[in-house]
Amino acid sequence: MAQERKVGLLRRTSSSKKPLKEKVVLMYDEIFTKDDPAKTNPRFWDELFLMKVNLEYLEAKLESLDGDEVMLIKENLNSLFHHCVQALEEEHQIKVVNALQTLCALFRGVHQKNKSATGFDIINMLVGFDKAELRMKDLMESLDSLLCGDGSESLKSLCLKLLLCLVTVTDNISQNTLLEYVMINSIFEAILQILSDVSSRGQHGYDAVVLLALLVNYRKYESVNPYIVKLSIVDDEPTLDGMGMVVHHALTEYNRQYKDKDEERHGGFLSTLTNMVGSMFIADADEKLSVQTNEAILLALYEAVHLNRNFITVLAQSHPEMDMPTTPAPTVPTTPTTPLGTTPPSVDLMHNPELPLDPSMQTSNLLITFLKYSSIVMQDTKDEHRLNSARLCLIILACIAEDQYADAFLHDDNMNFRVNLHRMPMRHRKKAADKNVPCRPLVCAVLDLMVEFIVTHMMKEFPMDLYTRCVQIIHKLICYQKKCRIRLQYTWRELWSALINLLKFLLSNETTLLAKHNIFLLALQVVNLFNMFITYGDTFLPTPSSYDELYYEIVRMHQVFENLYCMVLRVSTNVGQWKEPASKVTHALVNVRAIINHFNPKIESYAAVNHISQLSEDQVLEVVRSNYDTLTLKLQDGLDQFERYSEQPRETAFFKELVRSISVNVRKNVSLNTLSQDVLLKEFSSIS
Amino acid sequence: MGDTELDLSPSQLEELQKSPSASSTSTTSSLSLPSSPSSGPRPFTSSSPSASDSLPASSPPLDVISEGVGELSLVIDTEVAKKACQEVLQKVKFLKVDSEPASTAVEPKLVNGTSHTDPSDGDSDGLEKPVKITEEEPSSGTVKSARRRQKNNTSKQSWLLRLFESKLFDISMAISYLYNSKEPGVQAYIGNRLFSFRNEDVDFYLPQLLNMYIHMDEEVGDAIKPYVVHRCRQSINFSLQCAWLLGAYSSDMHISTQRHSRGTKLRKLILSDELKPASQRARREVLQPPPPCPHPLHHGPGLSEHSLSPSKRTHQRSKSDATVSISLSSNLKRTASNPKVESSQDEDMSSSSDSLELEAGTPVRLTPQREFIKSLMGIGKRLATLPTKEQKTQRLISELSLLNHKLPARVWLPTAAFDHHVVRVPHTQAVVLNSKDKAPYLIYVEVLECENFETSSVPVRIPETRIRSTRSVENLPDCGITPDQRASSFSTVPNYDNDDEAWSVDDIGELQVELPEIHTNSCDNISQFSVDSITSQESKEPIFIAAGDIRRRLSEQLAHTPTTFKKDPEDPSAVALKEPWQEKVRRIREGSPYGHLPNWRLLSVIVKCGDDLRQELLAFQVLKQLQSIWEQERVPLWIKPYKILVISSDSGMIEPVVNAVSIHQVKKQSQLSLLDYFLQEHGNYTTEAFLTAQRNFVQSCAGYCLICYLLQVKDRHNGNILLDSEGHIIHIDFGFILSSSPRNLGFETSAFKLTNEFVDVMGGQDGDMFNYYKMLMLQGLIAARKHMEKVIQIVEIMQQGSQLPCFHGSSTIRNLKERFHMSLTEEQLQVLVEQMVDGSMRSITTKLYDGFQYLTNGIM
Repeated sequence: MAQERKVGLLRRTSSSKKPLKEKVVLMYDEIFTKDDPAKTNPRFWDELFLMKVNLEYLEAKLESLDGDEVMLIKENLNSLFHHCVQALEEEHQIKVVNALQTLCALFRGVHQKNKSATGFDIINMLVGFDKAELRMKDLMESLDSLLCGDGSESLKSLCLKLLLCLVTVTDNISQNTLLEYVMINSIFEAILQILSDVSSRGQHGYDAVVLLALLVNYRKYESVNPYIVKLSIVDDEPTLDGMGMVVHHALTEYNRQYKDKDEERHGGFLSTLTNMVGSMFIADADEKLSVQTNEAILLALYEAVHLNRNFITVLAQSHPEMDMPTTPAPTVPTTPTTPLGTTPPSVDLMHNPELPLDPSMQTSNLLITFLKYSSIVMQDTKDEHRLNSARLCLIILACIAEDQYADAFLHDDNMNFRVNLHRMPMRHRKKAADKNVPCRPLVCAVLDLMVEFIVTHMMKEFPMDLYTRCVQIIHKLICYQKKCRIRLQYTWRELWSALINLLKFLLSNETTLLAKHNIFLLALQVVNLFNMFITYGDTFLPTPSSYDELYYEIVRMHQVFENLYCMVLRVSTNVGQWKEPASKVTHALVNVRAIINHFNPKIESYAAVNHISQLSEDQVLEVVRSNYDTLTLKLQDGLDQFERYSEQPRETAFFKELVRSISVNVRKNVSLNTLSQDVLLKEFSSIS
Repeated sequence: MGDTELDLSPSQLEELQKSPSASSTSTTSSLSLPSSPSSGPRPFTSSSPSASDSLPASSPPLDVISEGVGELSLVIDTEVAKKACQEVLQKVKFLKVDSEPASTAVEPKLVNGTSHTDPSDGDSDGLEKPVKITEEEPSSGTVKSARRRQKNNTSKQSWLLRLFESKLFDISMAISYLYNSKEPGVQAYIGNRLFSFRNEDVDFYLPQLLNMYIHMDEEVGDAIKPYVVHRCRQSINFSLQCAWLLGAYSSDMHISTQRHSRGTKLRKLILSDELKPASQRARREVLQPPPPCPHPLHHGPGLSEHSLSPSKRTHQRSKSDATVSISLSSNLKRTASNPKVESSQDEDMSSSSDSLELEAGTPVRLTPQREFIKSLMGIGKRLATLPTKEQKTQRLISELSLLNHKLPARVWLPTAAFDHHVVRVPHTQAVVLNSKDKAPYLIYVEVLECENFETSSVPVRIPETRIRSTRSVENLPDCGITPDQRASSFSTVPNYDNDDEAWSVDDIGELQVELPEIHTNSCDNISQFSVDSITSQESKEPIFIAAGDIRRRLSEQLAHTPTTFKKDPEDPSAVALKEPWQEKVRRIREGSPYGHLPNWRLLSVIVKCGDDLRQELLAFQVLKQLQSIWEQERVPLWIKPYKILVISSDSGMIEPVVNAVSIHQVKKQSQLSLLDYFLQEHGNYTTEAFLTAQRNFVQSCAGYCLICYLLQVKDRHNGNILLDSEGHIIHIDFGFILSSSPRNLGFETSAFKLTNEFVDVMGGQDGDMFNYYKMLMLQGLIAARKHMEKVIQIVEIMQQGSQLPCFHGSSTIRNLKERFHMSLTEEQLQVLVEQMVDGSMRSITTKLYDGFQYLTNGIM
């Protein structure tokens, strides 16, 4: 752990040398004695913050002490903290920088050593109980004014890094007692301001969004988190849009990297290895990192979509595609050496309306980018992180699918887009030609994505919950279409056959799957989707012939439904835990069975009468068309009703785990060294 | 300055008297149609061409008479004309020099329109005095003699004056006199007289007024300017219209002269926002010295009339230009760095500029609207760079959605007939129109009607997501949300801020659920029942339905939906335009967060970028004029002039014709002949609906055939002819009129476009409707002929200083006049109409042209 941290934090200087001790180190040593260093040197604190910080030394020193030893020097530590906070208000920027870095080292050092210590002990050690409230208030106010002020961008960046550092010192964010003060002294407004301003968004947007996502998750389920409350009521469009842009850009960047990798993989000698499905991300450290940090961005997207109704509009907010080479000039300070130092979105339509345009540029929006991203992430769910990402993607999609405004623009006939989803290369199909995707309402892309997921994940490690979510999303969309009588021009047939194949897979792997999952719930959902089409098809199917095709598909695959019926009947007649859910499936199958039992004899007799052994599709459709009238169906209740998504209690465990992994990851990657002292010195020497 | 002419005019009169024979040969026989013989004013004559040739100096006033008073003129002798001229001059002298109480009583707001400021006397003094000082001195001798001479005449009848003061003297005559009269007195009088006309009436002639201001001599300009300045002070809208037109009509001048031209100067003055309403102006005038002496070098004495001296004005202008630019940049900055959540209201353009007003002390009252127009034009420019329609459409939608962020604001659509604020642009409804290289686009604009857009407060922004149950209401009208419910729900939402304590995490979890529930109604409720509830059917009585019914309902519902056009990525506008307007309004209203407000309205506008709409505007004016002539003469011809807003010489806006699609689109989409399409849309031959549509078709066809003939409208392919839902045809795109035709290929030689298809809709060549069509044409032509001058005048004035292709060559006006065939008898006219109709029908060139268009542009 310490080694890792060093990599992240201490890369800059080699600690192997043991040269003369720097002055600052001597001063640190003085702090780590029991005496008040200011006693001998009244200007001690002034001088300290003029010195270049030696993070490694300070942190190592703190780490080396055990709890009791720390308590001995508590006074001096409190004093150091106090002076750090005071130094933040200094005019001299160097002092501010040094104070910020020292604070960072303090937070880390104290936590590192005292994993077992309670949060209150840490507060006491660092700030002192009696003064904690005041000191932390001062600290937060200083950070707030630094973030909102007109000061140096590097300074703002450093403030955000400090905050990220503070937020992630514990693995479980809810155990970080110091954050209580961040709750009381909100920096929410500062974060929003960063997001609403183009240039600051470009430079700090990523950090700000990650910070916000983490803060929202502090003691989410136990107490009132003011960040949740505030985030849910933001209705300022430029700000929300800014947040969307940051997310959009991060996802676009990921998609672009993936595409580059993908193309590279397909070119050259590697093309022979195309069968290595799922090995897109060879154990490449960089690649892994970017996957993980994108979880933080995904979490931010989720929180925004889930908490803030107004954010939905941002999803459809179009921007020109941003994956063109970005060479942002003003972002030199944050060189993107780590995933956290993202390059800012350089194309900002709202504020640069005169920007010259690339005619080949496709218009895109956050939702499209998100769908593309999801299609990439969902390709491979073997890895834990990617499974989590895929799960989160589906949760976000579920939230979107049940929002009426989102549904409205998803189905908007005038908003047509080409969405090039990534499709997994599979043995039995060729890689689809990208360019031929038609321009359609966005909901078609969502449905395509769902179909794609369904057909590509029937594997031994069956991702049951992802399938459930997937089918739920389709159900929600169809409910909306039924309610609003939207006749989507979509080739439903692909969906039907995917769903039937899913049922087939469940049947053939019954025993292995039943050991882990309740397959009847999924089967019930799938059958009920068919029931939607059968009984309400008149309200949302695009053409009469599509209704015929539905029947054709059911009759064609009658074997699957019959087998399913046998299976659920068998299980439901046995005593056991699956009795109840299986019997529900038997009831749900009533209409499908009615259709099969009605049309199969008709088709057979048609074949017999006309002496045809194999009926063509048209002939079957003809039989179907002429025999509707003698078929009676049973109207089932509640087909068009669904359970709304709620995070509690079902998803709490998932989110706790997710936030933990994000915290660990962000901590690993927060690098104060992205702001090298030299850059800062150069910048501030001219100021002072 | 009226006086300067006085030394001329007496001599004119003398000359007139010397040569009575010349003017007595007036040829007004063709004008023998006194439509409304009046009791008051005596008739005047028009001077013959020979008279004006022999008496170049004197002819103008007489010409004036002939042009303007054509309709009430009888043959009269020179004496009367002479008297009239004297009368006018004298009258003007009274006004100008003596400032008689009588004259001010007649025209209370005559002088410069500044009567609203308290020191109106002082103001007018300030205006008049320099005139006297500068001009009376050099010419005092002649002035005095002239005055003496005139005193002798005062006893006589003052015909012209009586005309000017009569009720019959309308704006059309005023414009005509202003244009034709070379008499500064007459011009100045009319300049003042403008104040007494209704604003709307003058507005119609605004292009003429401003074009005269730009391109004619100083006297005309000086006569017009006070009125324009006065109106600019009153209205932002007028100010901007003026500025745009001035810019557009100055653009044909040489660049070097343009920079110093009076038009450009006035434009800059308006845009600098110097012309504020009275209250603000009064405050500013405190700071300013009283109107100083005229600048002798550049401007001549005439300009001294303006309340600002040129030098002073330049200074002022530069200052305010600076403030505007400052305010704009700070405006941007504010938008960019929107500080906190609460201040979201600051984002709209108006309030930011409002607050700027307070900061800077200089109101930027024109800024929001100019920015609005600018951003619309910017979108058009950027769209033009994209290669495909699909990309253009996507881009358009995204750009408009960003524009929405800045709305509502104190902006409006100048093409609308009522005061309003724009609150939202339903961006997904916008479509790119068919054009090869430009990117015109059509947007729908949601507005809230208001008392006065300058003073009424700008509506509060309502977030997009506040619409609930968007389209569901469509099917369930009874359970739709009432406006009250909706309105109340708006007010509840912000309250969340207040009781943070009341929030538990659970609340937030349920927020998603609860918010929608408040708004949705029970019947279309997406309930929270779990999926498990399906099984509850076991206990209930099962409901059975027939599969056949479902299938039948499906096909029936699809059959019953009104005929819509299929989506075509290459022609995105077809579907949008085919949708009935009322349907569209209802749909957009349901989807709009502002839709519940009672003063909600939907407007639409076509934004044209890169196109010169000046010809369109000219055509609009002619159409409008002819429309009112036909209305006045009770000829049931139907035409639809659509409003044009010229913003510059290469941009503008057009009011779209609603419920209309082009015949090209009709034919392409329906794959039917026009007659079959009529039958499909309106019903069988004998149905009332069909007959009405057919009559509409005939009346509009006759109207537009006449228009096409008179204006020589070319480029008449089916993409430029619309068909509305009532059966009217509407010609659009007047890019080639009068002297210009597309690429001069020599196509379209016929008088107008009349294809066999059109005749088929009318019921064939032998049908009653076809005869009715020809009769309408004849009546229309006769009526138009009667009021020819009113039409000619519009075109003629716009020819001044214009490089527009429609004025190419020297004979534009002469040819136009000839097409009215003043010399023909009605019988001869009838023959002419027959010939034209015959010729057009048989015209091979029409078919050729359509074929040409099909080959080159894919237009059917």
